[in-house]
Amino acid sequence: MARRVAIVGYAQSYHQHDMQMTREDMVFEVAKGALRNAGISREDVDTVITASTDFLDGRTISNLYTSMAVGAYLKDESKVEEDGAFAAYYALMRILSGVHDIALVEAHTQGSVVNPHLVSNYTVDPLFERQYGDLNDISAAALQARMYMNKYDVSEEQVATVSVKNLANAACNPHAHRRMPDVSIEVVLSSKLYYDPIRELTMSPISDGACALVLACEEKAKEITDNPVWIEGVGSCQDGYLRDRNLDKLDSLQIAAKDAYEMAGITAPFAQIDVFEVSEKFAHEELMIYEALGLCREGKGKTLIEKGMTEKDGEIPVNPSGGALGADPICATGLVRIMETAKQIRGEANGYQIPNVHRALAHGQFGICAQKNIVFILGGE
Amino acid sequence: MRNVAIIGCGQTKHSGRRRDVNLAEMVGDAVWNALEDAQVGPHEVDAFTVGNMQGFGGVAQPEQWLGDWIGAPGKPVLRIATGGSTGGCVAQAAFYAVASGLYDIAVATAWEKHSDSKEPGATTGLAHVGLGNTLNMINFGVSFKHLLSMVAAGAAAGVACYQAMYYMHRSGCRVEHLDMVAAKDRRNAANNKYAHLQWPGCTPEDIAKTKWVAYPFRYGHICPASDGASAMVLACEEVARKRCKKPVWIKGLAAYSDEENQIMSEGAGGIGILDASQQIGATMSAIKAYKMAGIKDPQKEIDLAEIYQPFPSQELMFAERLGLFDEGTAWKALEKGETDINGKMPCDLSGGVNATNAIGSSALQRILECALQIMGKAEEHQVPKEVHNAVAHGWGGATNYIAVTVLGDSPY
Amino acid sequence: MPYIKEQRKETISVEGDWDVGGSTTWKHSTLLQEYAQGLKEKKIIGSLCPGCGKVIVPPRNICGRCHRKMDEKVVVSDIGTVTCFVISAPFAKGQAKVLGMDPVEIGLVEEGERVISVYVKFDGADSNVDTELIGVEPEKVYLGMRVKAVWAKEPQGRLSDLEAVEPLKD
Repeated sequence: MARRVAIVGYAQSYHQHDMQMTREDMVFEVAKGALRNAGISREDVDTVITASTDFLDGRTISNLYTSMAVGAYLKDESKVEEDGAFAAYYALMRILSGVHDIALVEAHTQGSVVNPHLVSNYTVDPLFERQYGDLNDISAAALQARMYMNKYDVSEEQVATVSVKNLANAACNPHAHRRMPDVSIEVVLSSKLYYDPIRELTMSPISDGACALVLACEEKAKEITDNPVWIEGVGSCQDGYLRDRNLDKLDSLQIAAKDAYEMAGITAPFAQIDVFEVSEKFAHEELMIYEALGLCREGKGKTLIEKGMTEKDGEIPVNPSGGALGADPICATGLVRIMETAKQIRGEANGYQIPNVHRALAHGQFGICAQKNIVFILGGE
Repeated sequence: MRNVAIIGCGQTKHSGRRRDVNLAEMVGDAVWNALEDAQVGPHEVDAFTVGNMQGFGGVAQPEQWLGDWIGAPGKPVLRIATGGSTGGCVAQAAFYAVASGLYDIAVATAWEKHSDSKEPGATTGLAHVGLGNTLNMINFGVSFKHLLSMVAAGAAAGVACYQAMYYMHRSGCRVEHLDMVAAKDRRNAANNKYAHLQWPGCTPEDIAKTKWVAYPFRYGHICPASDGASAMVLACEEVARKRCKKPVWIKGLAAYSDEENQIMSEGAGGIGILDASQQIGATMSAIKAYKMAGIKDPQKEIDLAEIYQPFPSQELMFAERLGLFDEGTAWKALEKGETDINGKMPCDLSGGVNATNAIGSSALQRILECALQIMGKAEEHQVPKEVHNAVAHGWGGATNYIAVTVLGDSPY
Repeated sequence: MPYIKEQRKETISVEGDWDVGGSTTWKHSTLLQEYAQGLKEKKIIGSLCPGCGKVIVPPRNICGRCHRKMDEKVVVSDIGTVTCFVISAPFAKGQAKVLGMDPVEIGLVEEGERVISVYVKFDGADSNVDTELIGVEPEKVYLGMRVKAVWAKEPQGRLSDLEAVEPLKD
């Protein structure tokens, strides 16, 4: 990369079911929080990139209304209409280009405003799928889950183990939405059934939340903090549409991870990365993610989870913060993953800190059945 | 900073109802046209940036469905959405993708297909821009009569009406000048085979005969709601010099936002903008873009402009804010013919947004048209002089994401 | 190029009507309520930013310039200046619908009436309020005109308590 770019500040909201706060106030708090955490003021920021979607915010050009709150008054501002990790990626590109030095990235969704599962129907092809009327993000994920589980003989118990791990992890994370320290496989498998095999506790909750990060080029990063978190690699990829791609694996994540690893010089992720924060909107997705990230062979995700290798005290901790199953403020989810890995590297993940974290991987996704994916590799000094 | 150039452009015909293609085919047409113009194969594209108004045309996140038509699977795709200036910001995102060094060849595409919705998105979706939060205010007993005057003009016209009145009061411009601009844009569009409202020989009198919508706008002033898509291929210097006879260099860019100026923002809070024609965002974007481009005197150094003007008053207002005319004199320059094809500062030779408005695509088309002029490929509406530097402009929201891009025939 | 569609005839259209159900739940602060309550008492309330000193009417809670909360409430005058105006075309039956209703049919406006929308800067405020101007012919409206608030006869703590503005009589 032409320049080195680091994360120098961050903040996230307390993700919850129906935040008693306007979106403007929620965004204002995280933006102010991130600036404060970095120790800089709004004047120092060169560019602001936000992430939110009109159909989840329920209004056209939705970012108009949060523009002042995020601190974009008289700033070079743009908006990415998908997961916040893509906003971080765009901000990274802006700094790498040399045109800007310091960027503020913000992402938010209040799922309580418009039910995201209902409007997911609008992203489906209007010519064929939508005519049937039975596809939304949950039913499509159920198809994907069955395909994957049948192909590799994965049991519902093995999938539920992911939920148990993440929901218990979330209990140590004060910012998480759904925290269940005493959850068990039985509790997960007796939760409300949506579309077989997807249940209430094997899918992410609908959260209200926001997150903001401050990114800076090397010179500025060193002035701002003694503890910058360097972005060592990034990779992004979009898969084909739902009907036209492999649903039983996450091809686009594999490609995105490969690009990110190459950029960061990672040849053996299992050995070289200390902690992973992935966006698993459904429990079975986390198993598919292990495989796509190259942490195990195809179909062997179940082995990793059964042997406890991805627990907080395992060989490769995945989602010590609770992941998306712990809190899913949709557009903010990927950005929260980046913030959580940055916290781990800085040693600030109080209550769920993994020891000796030097390198971490953060993952964001968007689209039905994780159609597009983005991977960040972060490293400490 | 890595130099980035536009090496190919593609558009589809824009019209009121493109019922011969579906959304995916339409965007595919634009992208393939651009790839052919650039002589770049689909396997050589490293990244895509896309955008349109979310939900217009009845599909949300359409690039996830139509990605297959443009060769996107397996590649990074970034969706940008910033209201009216979406196309401009999509192109700027493609610039940053290449300038960052992460990618060598990027395709920027933006589109809109209003006719797929029962009511054209231009009224329903845009009415939502102002009305969406007004519905909230009904709970607080907002006066219906008051809602009326906004709805009657359509939300975007409502915002632009006030802008026009402020500009007219400030500069001395009169409604006759708006007629002149609208007529010029429709005449120019007649020489642009991709434009929507083509009216060869249109005169200000023709426009003046149309009914009033809301003073100072007549029906003849208002942009249409078009279906259409446009795309560009951007490349790093090495590729551009090798593969393109006349690459168009992006020398400067910015997209500043002023305070949001919606008639009724969320919670109906007021805004501190007392003069809607001030448009500080435009001024700041222009200052930054010219500085990056090394342009010290735009009036002398810019050869032509493509201004985002769904309403004719905006052509004059933004031209002044971009420094192309002195404060309050754009309408006088118009009278003298300076904005015509043979004038000192030709504006919107393609007809601009006033003649063709597929919202997502329209701001991208402004950059695309400047590129065509520099490349010498604008066919019937090619300006008869050498174009060294051009400025393209996009306007979003009410005062927001004003994307200004300065293009030139050399990177320095 | 083989990928570009050759034929340009009308293609098959597929119709659909998708009501996905559910509703939108707006979230807003109490400021609008406070403003409406103030109107009941014939008071126009604005919020003051302790950073830049600007007073915004109707009140808002975040100042973009200073990036801070602007919670302080102040009352501004009910006399102000017209800073901008827009005149609608004469209303005709069947011309436009607001929320599914025809305004002329339901008696909201008269046939041929032209509604004047104005931006008014009330004295003491640093922002414009969007409202209707009554009591003057459209031709006689000018920028800089001094106006006074017209209050509803029976205020109910709703936004329509500030019905309109009318020219200030000396």
